Amino acid sequence: MTMLRIRNLGVRFGGVVALHGVSLDLNRGEILGLIGPNGAGKTTLFNCISGVIAPNEGTIHFEGRSLRFAPPHERARRGIARTFQNLQLWGSMTVLENLELPIDAIARRNTLSDALGLPFSHYAERAASERARAILHALGLGRYRDRLAADLPAGIQRRVELGRALAMRPKLVLLDEPAAGLDAGETEQLAKLLHKVRERFRVSMLLVDHDMSLVMRVCDYIYVLDFGKVLSRGEPPVVRNDQKVIAAYLGEPTPELVEASPTVPEPVITTTIPDAPQLPRTDAVEVAGETGTLLEVTGMAAGYAHLEVIRDIDLTVQAGEVVACIGANGAGKTTTLRAISGVIRPRAGRVTFGGHDITGARPEHIARLGLAHIPEGRGLFPRLSVEDTLRLAVDAAGKPERLEAAYDVFPRLKQRCRQAVGTLSGGEQQMVAMARAILTQPRLLMIDEMSQGLAPTIVCQLFQMIDVFRQQGTAVLLVEQFVESALAVADRAYIFEHGSIVHEAPAEELRRDRGLISGSYLGSAPDSTEAIEVAANGNGHHRVLDPELMEILSMRVPAEVKRALEERAEREGRSAGALALELLEEVNHTQ
Amino acid sequence: MMPGHIVRFAIAIVAFAILARLPVGLDPAFQFDAALAVIWGFGILSLVLLTGYAGQVSLCQATFAGVAAYGAGMTVAGMHGGYLLGIIIGVLAATVLGVIVGLPALRLHGITLAIVTLGIALVFDKYVFQDHIFDWFTGGTGGWQVTQASLFGIPVDSSKHLLTAYDVMLALFCMVAVLMVNLHQSGAGRRFRAIRDSELAASTMGVNLARYKLLAFALSASIAGMGGSFYPLIAGSVSPQPFWVFTSLQLAAIGVLMGVRYVPAAALGGLFMAVVPDVLTRYGHGTFMNRFNYDISYDWFQLAVGVLLVLQLILLPDGVWGDIRAKALRAWDVVRMKPREEVRPA
Repeated sequence: MTMLRIRNLGVRFGGVVALHGVSLDLNRGEILGLIGPNGAGKTTLFNCISGVIAPNEGTIHFEGRSLRFAPPHERARRGIARTFQNLQLWGSMTVLENLELPIDAIARRNTLSDALGLPFSHYAERAASERARAILHALGLGRYRDRLAADLPAGIQRRVELGRALAMRPKLVLLDEPAAGLDAGETEQLAKLLHKVRERFRVSMLLVDHDMSLVMRVCDYIYVLDFGKVLSRGEPPVVRNDQKVIAAYLGEPTPELVEASPTVPEPVITTTIPDAPQLPRTDAVEVAGETGTLLEVTGMAAGYAHLEVIRDIDLTVQAGEVVACIGANGAGKTTTLRAISGVIRPRAGRVTFGGHDITGARPEHIARLGLAHIPEGRGLFPRLSVEDTLRLAVDAAGKPERLEAAYDVFPRLKQRCRQAVGTLSGGEQQMVAMARAILTQPRLLMIDEMSQGLAPTIVCQLFQMIDVFRQQGTAVLLVEQFVESALAVADRAYIFEHGSIVHEAPAEELRRDRGLISGSYLGSAPDSTEAIEVAANGNGHHRVLDPELMEILSMRVPAEVKRALEERAEREGRSAGALALELLEEVNHTQ
Repeated sequence: MMPGHIVRFAIAIVAFAILARLPVGLDPAFQFDAALAVIWGFGILSLVLLTGYAGQVSLCQATFAGVAAYGAGMTVAGMHGGYLLGIIIGVLAATVLGVIVGLPALRLHGITLAIVTLGIALVFDKYVFQDHIFDWFTGGTGGWQVTQASLFGIPVDSSKHLLTAYDVMLALFCMVAVLMVNLHQSGAGRRFRAIRDSELAASTMGVNLARYKLLAFALSASIAGMGGSFYPLIAGSVSPQPFWVFTSLQLAAIGVLMGVRYVPAAALGGLFMAVVPDVLTRYGHGTFMNRFNYDISYDWFQLAVGVLLVLQLILLPDGVWGDIRAKALRAWDVVRMKPREEVRPA
């Protein structure tokens, strides 16, 4: 049965046509994939379905009812939940509160009774909290329960967003780039998780992602969008072999696509493109002659507020070298870059750059020494035009204004120079960030998650740029989730685990010895298969198979049993929901 | 009732007991200041809800208080109603205005909303409180005179029973403060905070933005109105001067200074706003060491607030109360020898 029916949807922003004549059907219980290059209109479509923007034409029906006049919260109540590409957790609330909110927002609680703390509110509060705990436990997020959402690394926040969407007891979940910033191992787990979630929660999903391995594996059916129109649709094998799709979207076979094929992939290495664009020959000439250690970090520790995220970091970058930092999410890579570039203050250790001690120096001071940092999310000013952004960078660095240098490397930016950065596609924005960095003629360029949320063709081009930097004598320190591509371009790599460096080796060696990398990724990944079993139950969806479980979670058990459970939970320091689930599992086994 | 509720209630009672004793035995001018402190305390409390919880900006909180003050004055002096009725009518009038001000907030954010609310404050100051068209509401040039009033049969007029009025107001203040903390910790409070952190996520997760933004404005206006409706009682008359635009700005500034996300900051702020200027005008002039004449009048207060605000934004970004609280909590952790939390990435 068709759950979501979209017909002839059209959206225009001023003169730009974002969506044109898009029709789409999603059946109950289906995982539908939505792919397309950056700027194809995928997120716009999501915004239309969740009611954030109103389409100019066309209709959307959900379970047979038109969504035309339903505001976003009404759609949420009808069962449409979503996650966001740029994370939208409520940062000043704890993770637990983030999950409690959708549970009781749906339940139409009364403000007055909340303020007075009447028994009704108290009861609902406990139920919401218990269910939220169960979901967190299920997703392996239990330990982050009382942390502020804003303090968590991006990968964890993405999982919390999924949990928050599930807390709403949705019928349809819209997932916007759930695998952004996840490495291969984590993506694999996500794929399993999504399947489990569908089975246990009976939810349908609409999935947007650039990671083809995830989309191809998880989805039952795929729509391909290009320039706001449906380019192609079909089951994964059909789409994968569709010449139109390959031409428009993928450009050429990329590591990600090859990985997505069912056979076990050989490590694929992207090689340098011979006619790579030439970087401006400015001060880089003298820099190119530089040798010796450029950056040296010894025994560095850093963190946020009262949390220590990284410790004992020893890291060096030679002049003109490309070094990759790899490791699972939350291993401390981003924090390391931040501490080096002065965004946060190292708590211990020493950082020297080009002979200067820059430990705890102000970021602008460090930048002037020739250390450029492109942060995760690119750190651009959305309302500034491309040209102004670049000009600002050279002004601040006190370098002569020669924007042509950047335009030579990224010709596309020349065409867009008057456009506001916020209106560019993701790939173009990354180009702006890189152009801005190279205009300051850095000796070391640190790039955090360059390929996040970008289509494979663009990622390939950007990696070629890094090779160009190396040829120009600029050292590069890279944090990257596409391990293959990163190792292909890097000379050396550091493997991060639990906030410290566990291994350092030439990239060549790591490419050969796959065990080293996969160990660091998979070994440290949460053992979520069991957790997932619990995951579905934790939500207590209306058609979950175990009615007893649902009952416990919605606190409809006799008071004595509940109290006994809670007491035991208190003693063992775990949530009552998790405990109940375990007990039930035991019962099932003995039977 | 949850344990949290009982603790909060107990804290409120202790706070009431302490604060109620403060002005006892002081000269009447200081007793008036204490009562005024509660009124401005209500004003800042209303900002804690609106700005601290729901993230909305308003620069017309004193206007809400003013409307309530005139509403109460009109009921008591103009229509010879009881003072309880005056409070009710005053609060209702403020709430209605709050909803009206909240309507543009459904579309506006940040600086534009600030300017709109500032405009409303200006319009009310010039064309309602000071205009003869609204004499029926403002009582004309002289304003309403409230000389005799009683609540529940207890005389509470300004001349002889100022402290009784103070106690009544303080009790109400403590009650509202407890309700606000309860709200913050409960579902409705979470929805307000969700709107502050990300409206986009809040709406797509089932929070009715229009409803909760209007509710925030209505509640905030009624809290400011509660304070305002007592003004005729303690001052004996109503005049436009205390409720002009600058008071609204001052409420916002002192609210931020003290920590706009925290309820106790409202008490601190109210005290600061009522007592400091009075002390300055009274003792702020004289001769220092028999040689240097100085005169630190009320004007200096405005300057001091500005300077303090700048200092606070640099040194105590979460407000005076917020940062003191954070430091105290950390000190408490040290005392209990609680180990420093370490992140264990997944």
